[in-house]
Amino acid sequence: MSTDDFAMDSMLEVFIHETNEMLEQLDEILLDSERAKSITDENINSIFRITHTIKGSAAMMSFNTISSLAHTVEDIFYLLREDPSKLSIVFDSIFDLVFQASDFFKRELESLQSGEYHEGDASAIIASLKEQAAIIKGEKAPEAADGAVKTAASADEDIPADMAKIRVFFETDCGMENIRAFMLLTQLQSCCEKLSSIPANPEADANLCADIIANGFIVICKPQHSLDDVIKAIENALNIKSYEVLSDGSAPVEEEKSAAQSQASPAAGKAAPIADSTAAAVAKVEASNISKGVKQSLISVNQTKLDQLMDLVGEIVTAESMVSSNPDLKGLRLDNFTKSVRELRKLTDELQDIVMSIRMVPLQSTFHKMDRIVRDMGKKLGKQAELVTEGGDTEVDKTINDAIVDPLMHMIRNSMDHAIEMPEERVRLGKPEMGTVSLTAKNTGGEILITVADDGAGLDPEKLLAKAKANGILTKPESAYTEKEIFNLIMLPGFSTNKQVTEYSGRGVGMDVVKKNLEQVGGTISIASEKGKGTTFTIKIPLTLAIVDGMNIAVGDNIFTVPITAIRQSFKISDESQIIVNADGSEMIVLRGDCYPIYRLRDLYNIESGTDVVTEGIMIQVDSNSSGFCIFADELLGEYQVVVKPFPIFLNKYDLKNHGLSGCSVLGDGSISLILDVNSLTND
Amino acid sequence: MANTETTANSVSIDGLTDRYLLFKIDDANYGLPLSLAIEIITIQSITKLPRVASYVKGIVNLRGKVIPVLDVRAKLGLPEHEYDDKTCIIVLDIHDMHVGLIVDMVSEVASALPEQLMPPPKNDKAATYIASVFQKDDKIILNLDCEDFFKDDLEQTRV
Repeated sequence: MSTDDFAMDSMLEVFIHETNEMLEQLDEILLDSERAKSITDENINSIFRITHTIKGSAAMMSFNTISSLAHTVEDIFYLLREDPSKLSIVFDSIFDLVFQASDFFKRELESLQSGEYHEGDASAIIASLKEQAAIIKGEKAPEAADGAVKTAASADEDIPADMAKIRVFFETDCGMENIRAFMLLTQLQSCCEKLSSIPANPEADANLCADIIANGFIVICKPQHSLDDVIKAIENALNIKSYEVLSDGSAPVEEEKSAAQSQASPAAGKAAPIADSTAAAVAKVEASNISKGVKQSLISVNQTKLDQLMDLVGEIVTAESMVSSNPDLKGLRLDNFTKSVRELRKLTDELQDIVMSIRMVPLQSTFHKMDRIVRDMGKKLGKQAELVTEGGDTEVDKTINDAIVDPLMHMIRNSMDHAIEMPEERVRLGKPEMGTVSLTAKNTGGEILITVADDGAGLDPEKLLAKAKANGILTKPESAYTEKEIFNLIMLPGFSTNKQVTEYSGRGVGMDVVKKNLEQVGGTISIASEKGKGTTFTIKIPLTLAIVDGMNIAVGDNIFTVPITAIRQSFKISDESQIIVNADGSEMIVLRGDCYPIYRLRDLYNIESGTDVVTEGIMIQVDSNSSGFCIFADELLGEYQVVVKPFPIFLNKYDLKNHGLSGCSVLGDGSISLILDVNSLTND
Repeated sequence: MANTETTANSVSIDGLTDRYLLFKIDDANYGLPLSLAIEIITIQSITKLPRVASYVKGIVNLRGKVIPVLDVRAKLGLPEHEYDDKTCIIVLDIHDMHVGLIVDMVSEVASALPEQLMPPPKNDKAATYIASVFQKDDKIILNLDCEDFFKDDLEQTRV
C-alpha cells in the first residue's frame, strides 16, 4: 500500500486530518438530523459534499475501499438531493448505514495512523447501501444496482442540446489519468451549472485509464457564464495535452438559464475556482461551516510546533524577568529603563495570552463523541436516553482535551450501562421513560468544571461498602466511613461494581484509571449521588498547565513557589504563644475561630538552613482540596509568573509529584525554584 | 541502547568511538565513553531536592533545561568533600535523558582500542560499576559501566 511511500507521508497526514474533521462534521449532521427526524436540504448537500471529498482524496491516495464506500454513500445522497421526498422511505436504515460507514472510515483512518494499514472490507456496507439506493430509485430504475456503469452508459445518450462537449487528452505517461480526470471535473464544478463526463465517475475505476488515454476524456457541461471560462479552466489544469470542443451548446442557454439555476446546487456556486481538488473541497467545507456557524475557520498546525512555541514563550518570560530584576540594577534609579521594562512586560504578557489561546480548543467535538456513545449504547442495550450537553464552547488546552476524552467516555459508558434503567423499569419507578445523561462544562476562572450527571439508579452506599469489604480494600471499620468516603471507594484500584463484563464497561478499566488520567493533567474528581435519583461526577481541571502565578518563598537557600490561587493570606507571628503544640510535636494555630495545622517546610523537607524561630519567619495560609493549613517559611520573595517545568524523568523514582512538589521553575537569576503542590504536600 | 564500546571493531565513525573522557575521583582515574558525554560544566549552584537518595544532589539549570545531578563519590560510597574550583559536572546523555555527574576533576580524553580493554577484577568490591580497565602511560583507567551505574535510577523511567 502507498503508506510505505515516504514522500506520501505528509500527504497522508493531511488526508487523515482532513478526513477526520469531515467525519466529525458528518456525525454531527447525522445526529442532529436523526434527532430532528428529517434532513434539511442543506444537510443533504453537506453530506453529499463531505462524502464526495472523502471519495476524491481517498482515490487520490489510492485507498480504494474508502473511496468506493464513500462513493456509495455519495450516490445515495445524490439521489436524495434530486428527490428529497424519497427520504421517508429509507429514513431509519439510512442513518444506521451511514453511521456504519462513518465508523468504517474512522477505523481505516486509525489503522492508517498506526502505520500498519490493512485495507478493511466494506463490501457488506456497500451492498446494503446499494440496496437502499435501489429502493430510492424505486420505479425509476429498479435494476440499477451498479450505478456507475449505468450512469456511464446513459450519459452518452441523453445529452441535452444546451450542453457543451469537450474532449480532453492528458499528457502521455502522466499516469493516473482517471484521477486527473476526476480532479479536472472538480475544478470545472465551480464554473459549470451541470457537469458530467464520459466515462462517468472516472475516479472509481483505475481500469478506465486506458480508455481515457485512447479516446480522451469527454467533459459534458453547461457553463455558468460562458464556455470560455470552462476552456480557460481546462487550459489551466495540470497535465492537459490538448482539448477540442465537440459541441458548444450555445443556442438555448439563455432561455433555460433561469430554470437550470434553481436546480443548481448552492455549493457549486459558492466555491471559487481553486487549483487542486483537496483545496477546493476544503474551501467548500469551510463555506458550509460559515453558513452553519458551528466551527470557526481553522488552520491546522503541527502540535509539536505549538509546544515549541509555548516553550519559547516560557523562555522569553524567564528572560524578561532576568533582565528586569537583574541584580546589577539593584539600588539604581532608572526611570526610562523601568518604563521600557514595563512595556516589554505588557507585550510578553500579551504574547503569552495569545499562545495559550492558540492551544485552546473548544470541548464541542469531545462532547459530540459522547453523543455517539449514548446513541449507540442506547440502541444496543435497549435503553432510552439522551445526552444533554451544555458549555461545549468552553475552551481547554489541547493536551487537557486529549487527556479527558477517555475518562469522559468511560464515565458516560458507566452511566449508560449501570445507571440508566431499562424503560419499563423507569416507568415503574415513576421516572420519565427517556433517561437523561448530562454533560456540562464551565469555566470558573482558574479551573474548568466538567460534570457528568445521570438520572439513573444512583450509588447504593451499602452495596458499595459490602463490595469493598469483599474485595478487602477497606482500611477502617465500616461504620467509620462517611457517605463521601464510600463513594470515593469506587475510584480505588480493584473495585468494580459490575460482576458481568459487558461490551461497554468492565474491560478492566475502572474508575481508578479515570482518576489517574485526570490527575495526570492536574485534575480532581468528586462524586455526589442519591440512591434512586442519579449520580453526578464533578471534574475540576486547571485551565492550563504551563505558566502559573506564584509567590516565591525562601527557606534557607531554597526557593519554593506557591501558586497564588492556593494562598489565602500570609502573616507574621508576633507571639510564640499563639501556636498550640500537640503532644506529638505537631503545631496548630487558631485563625478566625478555625484551627489550622502548621507545616514547617524546613522540617518537612529536612532543610538544614533557614530559621527555626517562629517570630522571625512568615506563615502562609493555603487552601487545599481537603482543608486549609499553614506553611511556615523564612520570608516572602515576591510574586512572579513562573513557567512550570516537570522534573526530569530521571527522578520519577522518587515520585516527587505525590509529595508536594508539582514541578520546578527556572527563575530570573537562573536559579531553580520548586513549585509546591498544596494538595499533596501533606501526604506523608 | 547501542553501546558504543562494543561496536568499536569498525573504524571510528564520528571520531567519538574508542575514546574515553577521563576524570579523577581522589587519586583514581576513571573513564567514560566520550560518545555519552555532551558537555562539561563547572560546578554551579544546585537546587536540593527533598526525599531523594543521598547521591542525587539535586537539579541544576543548564540553559533553561533542568537536569538532575549525581555525585559520583557518594554513589561509589566514598566520603564526600567540599566542591572546589576543580569540581566539574559532566553532562551525559543516557537513554535520551540528560544527567549530570559531579566529579573531582576532568583530566583528558584518551583513546583505547577494544583489544586494549581488560575485564575488571571479579568479586572485588572496588569493581562495582566498572565495565573494563585499560592502561594509559603509567596510569590505570577504570571505565565506568554507565548502564550499571544508573541502573537503580533508570528502572522507574521505563514505564
